[in-house]
Amino acid sequence: MAAILQTRGLKKYFGGLRAINGVDLAIDEGELRCLIGPNGAGKSTLFKLILGSYRPSEGAILFKGEDITKLQPHLRVQRGMSIKFQVPGIFLELPVEQNLRIALQRVHRGAALDEALERLLELINLGHQRNELAASLSHGQQQWLEIAMAVALQPAALLLDEPTAGMSHEETYKTGELVKKLNASGMTIVVIEHDMAFVRQIAKRVTVLHFGEVFDDGSLDDIVRNEDVVRIYLGKV
Amino acid sequence: MHRPVVHRLFDARMTFLVEAYAFFYQLADSFAFLVLCGLGLAIIFGMMGVINLAHGELIMCGAYVTVLSARAGLPLPFAMLCGTLAAGLVGLVLEFLIIRRLYHRLFDSIVATWALSLIATQGMLIVAGPSIEGLKTPFGSFELGEYSFSVYRALLPLIALLLLAALYWLFVRTRFGIYSRATIQDANMARALGANTRRIYSQTFTLGAALAGLTGALYAPTITAVPTMGQAFIVQSFVTVVVSGADVMLGLAPSAAVLAFIQSLLTKSYGQLIGQIGLLLTVIIVVRVLPKGISGWVLQRNGGR
Amino acid sequence: MPRWLALLDGPQTLGSGRAFWFVFALIVLVAALLPTFVNAFAVTNLTYFLVWVFMALGLSLIWGYAGILSFGQTAFFGLAGYTYGVISINLGDAGLWTWFALLMSLVLPAVLAVVIGYFMFYGGVRDVFVGIVTLSITLVFETFMAQTAGPEWTIGSARLNGFNGMSNMPPLTFPWGENPIIFDGPSFFWLVLGLVVLVYAGLRILVNSRFGNVLVAIRENPERAEMLGYNVRLYQLFVFVIGSVLAGMSGVLYTLWGYYITPSSMGLTAAALPIVWVAAGGRKDITATLLATVLLTWLSQQLAVKGSQYALIWMGVILLVVVLFAPEGLFVTVWKKLADRRRLRQVTTARKTVSLPSA
Repeated sequence: MAAILQTRGLKKYFGGLRAINGVDLAIDEGELRCLIGPNGAGKSTLFKLILGSYRPSEGAILFKGEDITKLQPHLRVQRGMSIKFQVPGIFLELPVEQNLRIALQRVHRGAALDEALERLLELINLGHQRNELAASLSHGQQQWLEIAMAVALQPAALLLDEPTAGMSHEETYKTGELVKKLNASGMTIVVIEHDMAFVRQIAKRVTVLHFGEVFDDGSLDDIVRNEDVVRIYLGKV
Repeated sequence: MHRPVVHRLFDARMTFLVEAYAFFYQLADSFAFLVLCGLGLAIIFGMMGVINLAHGELIMCGAYVTVLSARAGLPLPFAMLCGTLAAGLVGLVLEFLIIRRLYHRLFDSIVATWALSLIATQGMLIVAGPSIEGLKTPFGSFELGEYSFSVYRALLPLIALLLLAALYWLFVRTRFGIYSRATIQDANMARALGANTRRIYSQTFTLGAALAGLTGALYAPTITAVPTMGQAFIVQSFVTVVVSGADVMLGLAPSAAVLAFIQSLLTKSYGQLIGQIGLLLTVIIVVRVLPKGISGWVLQRNGGR
Repeated sequence: MPRWLALLDGPQTLGSGRAFWFVFALIVLVAALLPTFVNAFAVTNLTYFLVWVFMALGLSLIWGYAGILSFGQTAFFGLAGYTYGVISINLGDAGLWTWFALLMSLVLPAVLAVVIGYFMFYGGVRDVFVGIVTLSITLVFETFMAQTAGPEWTIGSARLNGFNGMSNMPPLTFPWGENPIIFDGPSFFWLVLGLVVLVYAGLRILVNSRFGNVLVAIRENPERAEMLGYNVRLYQLFVFVIGSVLAGMSGVLYTLWGYYITPSSMGLTAAALPIVWVAAGGRKDITATLLATVLLTWLSQQLAVKGSQYALIWMGVILLVVVLFAPEGLFVTVWKKLADRRRLRQVTTARKTVSLPSA
């Protein structure tokens, strides 16, 4: 399978801080990859670089074979990327339905848009709350709303930054099933997560980041068996 | 009559020196004006992020109270003190009644303070009439060549610098100052460390208002006090503060110096209105090129990101 | 009904449905008939209030819907006014020249807006700094025009005239055989009224459309809007240009109303007045803005007429009270409260119906 998303020698410095210190990543088309690592490892920064919120200090980013390193964020999204932020990036003062419409109108029009809207509302189980302001939703519901907005774009690659933060066990499980279902339909998904149960539920391949570098890479079982990985999580490195 | 060469050379040099001093005097005068205008606003906008469009009216308050107190018989320094305190008091009341509800509502603070400015200007017009009889500028004047300079206005730059030094001492060496800066940088943290943030905001705003009053008081003997005088001050104040950036101590003096230079140069060559335009164009360019002002730029170079 | 017409009602505007539009049509009808039963002075007066509507609506669009606080709408206002003056004085009122002048006085502000907008939005100028830059620009204009008093400040045969401003420009004239139609008095009123209706309807359709949805998204969370693939800066530039054209429309109509334009129309007080109207009514809704503009301009005129110097004080007090107690704007707050009460009554009625025991 061809790599849909690649980074080559990616580096990002903030003054003296090396947030990303040489990351070579290759995500295959249709893959479901988990990105884990202790706090401060650079995971969110990596996502921001891929989306274009940050400019890299060095290195290149390729998407669908095209060098997008200098491309503006909205153009990258138009090429088929989508992101769910760590801190919910939704329109808090707008109703749930309006939130989804704004995302959906990128892809649909007219009756097709209304249908897609209904499907999404059903997917995240917010049909009866469609006219409520997004700010009044619970944290878990807000996460789902944002995931739905990101998915509404029908992206080729979906980036999820801690999708289950603040969710209950049941919500986490449902999210995992949703992610698997989306992946099964062909969507490439990269997930940053801390919740190991969630990672276990969905992951086939896991990449570990530490101090801005790829520390390990493989199936979850391989990773877990790596003593060094255990140590960086427990803080001994 | 044929004058000796030596005399002519001497005259030429004297004329040059006089011209140079005249320009310097103008420069220092503008500098003082900008520093004094900007001080109160810099504290309030630069440190608290509150846009106080009523700043000009606080200056007016200081000026009016000074003039009225002096006319009532108080010696000038005491009248100026009254002016300063009056403005500070008004600031205290305003903060309590209105400003404290608007700390996280930027647009609303703009609209509300502009409304206050409108009320104050019109109110003063109704209460005190279109102008009141002013004060004489103290200390007279001195002459150099064909120019005559006001001693008082020549002293104002020194007063401005003294004030800056005093504020530096206040913010760096006193408890209030340190708590104040801490609160403004991170209110939650400061609260966790025991600072009464509510009171600090109130005190900082009052200080800013008092400084505005002091500006009005200092300029009261040199201008005619009219109700719309605030409008003349507000633009200069904002320009200085924006170019300065958030760190008042670091940016205000350089900002005022640069702007005073630009304004003086343009005024000398093309007149006052062009000087004013020059100021405005400067702020437009600075906002675009140095969005954090001079102080932000300096801080960034010396070890930020 | 064509889809675009259905957009007259939508999520970004208050007021919808038959009752609302019936009342609207009624008001427009009464207004249109006014010149027949009201004296000429009153008609001119009403025209004056309507003239300001465009600028207010433009500001509502830029600020209320897109979240950009521009203090510089009066720059476009003044530019349009002076442009009309210069062109119409030079080219005269024969044929369609006055209409050409009108067109150019809308084009120039648009061009200026593109330049300023590019400078700001593509240069990373945001939030309060947009206000500062735009205010500075309008003050630069005012100051510059104020020092054009000398006779050397002339464009063609039009003297700029400094503080005193430009006057004696010809009214809009439409050639009609022997007797050209001169838009003055009632005919000018109808022209302005027609434009108000058109612009109002057009804006309603615009803000409820997909474009309007994006504007609101940019206002609420510009980063998220960008991450949904929208070219945020282009939208901001575009809406800024629309706002500038609307401000220009007010400018040229004001000039045509009074046959003068002065630098003070670009000064500090003038710059802040639209902010008062838009904030007091409710910046996030164009109907609220429209109502507030007409009401407040009428109110301040009434106060001035009654010899009261308190006009501006009352404006300030109203504004202060609104900001403190009804920050979304007076009309918007009242409307929402009424809508809430109506919804509550519907829910209560529904509950009562449901809980009736079945026979």
